[in-house]
Amino acid sequence: MSQEYPIKIYKEPDLRRSSLVLGWSEDMSNLGRKATGYLNRKLKGQEFAEIEPEDFFSLGGVAIEGNLAQFPESKFYTCQEHALVVFQSGSPGAEWYKFLNSVLDVAEHHCRVKELYTIGAMVSVGAHTAPRELLAVVNSAEMKEVLSQYDLTRDLDYQTPPGERPTLNAFLLWIAKERNIHGVSLWVPIPFYLATMEDAQAQKKVLSFLDERLDLKIDFSDLDREIREQNEQLARARSRFPQVDDYINRLESNLVLSEEENGELIKKIEDFLREGG
Amino acid sequence: MGIRLYQEPQLENPILIAGWPGIGNIGIIAVDTLRRILEAEEFGEIEPWDFFYPRRVLIKKGVLEHLEFPNSKFYFKKTEGKDIIFFIGEEQPTEGGRMYAEGRKAYYMANLVLDVAEEFKCRRVYTSGAAVALTHHTIKPRVWAVPNSESLIPEIRGYGNTVLMSDIEGRGGHGNITGLNGLLLGVAKKRGFEAICLMGEIPVYLQGLPLSYPKASKSVLEVLNYSLKIEVNLDKLDELDQKVEQRIEEFYKQIPSEIRGQLDRLKQVTDAQPAEPGPITEEEEKKIMEDVEKFFKKRGGGG
Repeated sequence: MSQEYPIKIYKEPDLRRSSLVLGWSEDMSNLGRKATGYLNRKLKGQEFAEIEPEDFFSLGGVAIEGNLAQFPESKFYTCQEHALVVFQSGSPGAEWYKFLNSVLDVAEHHCRVKELYTIGAMVSVGAHTAPRELLAVVNSAEMKEVLSQYDLTRDLDYQTPPGERPTLNAFLLWIAKERNIHGVSLWVPIPFYLATMEDAQAQKKVLSFLDERLDLKIDFSDLDREIREQNEQLARARSRFPQVDDYINRLESNLVLSEEENGELIKKIEDFLREGG
Repeated sequence: MGIRLYQEPQLENPILIAGWPGIGNIGIIAVDTLRRILEAEEFGEIEPWDFFYPRRVLIKKGVLEHLEFPNSKFYFKKTEGKDIIFFIGEEQPTEGGRMYAEGRKAYYMANLVLDVAEEFKCRRVYTSGAAVALTHHTIKPRVWAVPNSESLIPEIRGYGNTVLMSDIEGRGGHGNITGLNGLLLGVAKKRGFEAICLMGEIPVYLQGLPLSYPKASKSVLEVLNYSLKIEVNLDKLDELDQKVEQRIEEFYKQIPSEIRGQLDRLKQVTDAQPAEPGPITEEEEKKIMEDVEKFFKKRGGGG
């Protein structure tokens, strides 16, 4: 099999030491794409490289999202001033090892990345009114020590259940470890009824951590406004639909809903938010 | 990337027996059972990362401790009769969500396995798999043997309970072996190895179930033992078979009586003269296949 990594570098970044933040497009609540997009927008990220898709993505047609034809993209951006590299990509469907090594080749050889952070979302059975939590999985004891000063859940025990597979982030963290790059996989649990919608609170949670850790000095006033609006929309949904209010009340009291009730809550919230709340 | 050998055993003209998972796991159970019985020693592996997505992650107190990949390992056993190299692949390297290996990765893996065989001057390869057949689970499965060279046919004709593709009614000597258990045979041919694939029969109505079928693995091992001139006790497979048999019977009872009636007629297909017209006509065969297909469709795909 070919060992050539299909990387295109448009402009060589001038970085002595940097950190890499990665987000995948197919993430729940679009968290990876939204958070990395936010970093690029706020920190004026400049695209400088990409990974060619043909070895990694099915190119048997195009996907349509939001009325638009899409094409798999795997792009690198640099925020020079902050010694930050951002990688945005769809999850590859094949040749994962080669793909992830390509990412790390760019990171290591062109950007001198010393630490990487992946962004991911997971389902929470809690209510949206509870503060978002941030979970971290690291690939070295040293990194765990470094993170001890931050507001993170760092003592997760987990083993892939039968019939499931590890996440791409776990695979990346493992390869990074083999290459002596410190890595952190960040996970924000998102209320299940917001899983297909955007969750500004979850974005703020992960971005605040990165802001503090990487000293980015981001002004979050726009994201705070989005959070307020989202909370107001959800409050309106509760007052318009007593059933929704009842379900969320029960979640707030740490009660578990039935499968049918979960489904009804998801549908009501999704419909309401899609109609503009 | 590629092969990692932990030691270089001194082997004399060894034969290679390779197995990957497939329908009813017939081949891999046969190969792995023999490996266990002979207490073969692990001596190498094919590095997994280029072929497989990891199958398990272990995180302890927030630290990623371990990422586990499917194993593809080599074992050896020196015996009085023949030295044997075993290769056991826990998964077939698939692309694009297919069930069995095909394409570039499969070809590459087959070549890596044969690279090791060649290094130890092995010239004969056995693989094993399943033959989906119009047979009944109460009947002893036959073994369909497919060689990669004309010169092996007389030898195969001497095996007991074994048929060639030309012996099977309606096949005309043709067929297809999916995945690496078949591909290895072809790659072996290309590289000048002689190779035989031994496929244990599995009833057509069991092929989609998530069950192993050790009864057929036993048939394969009996043939393999004869071919290799070794004697091993296969009682362990009988124990496993009894457990599986119970589950098969439970499943069989769930099949609607009309279809079950058709399937019961398969009990009359004996292995005495497989080439002769059996008690089931071609039309009836077609009907059974259609009924089984309908049943699985209704049941939700049948696996």
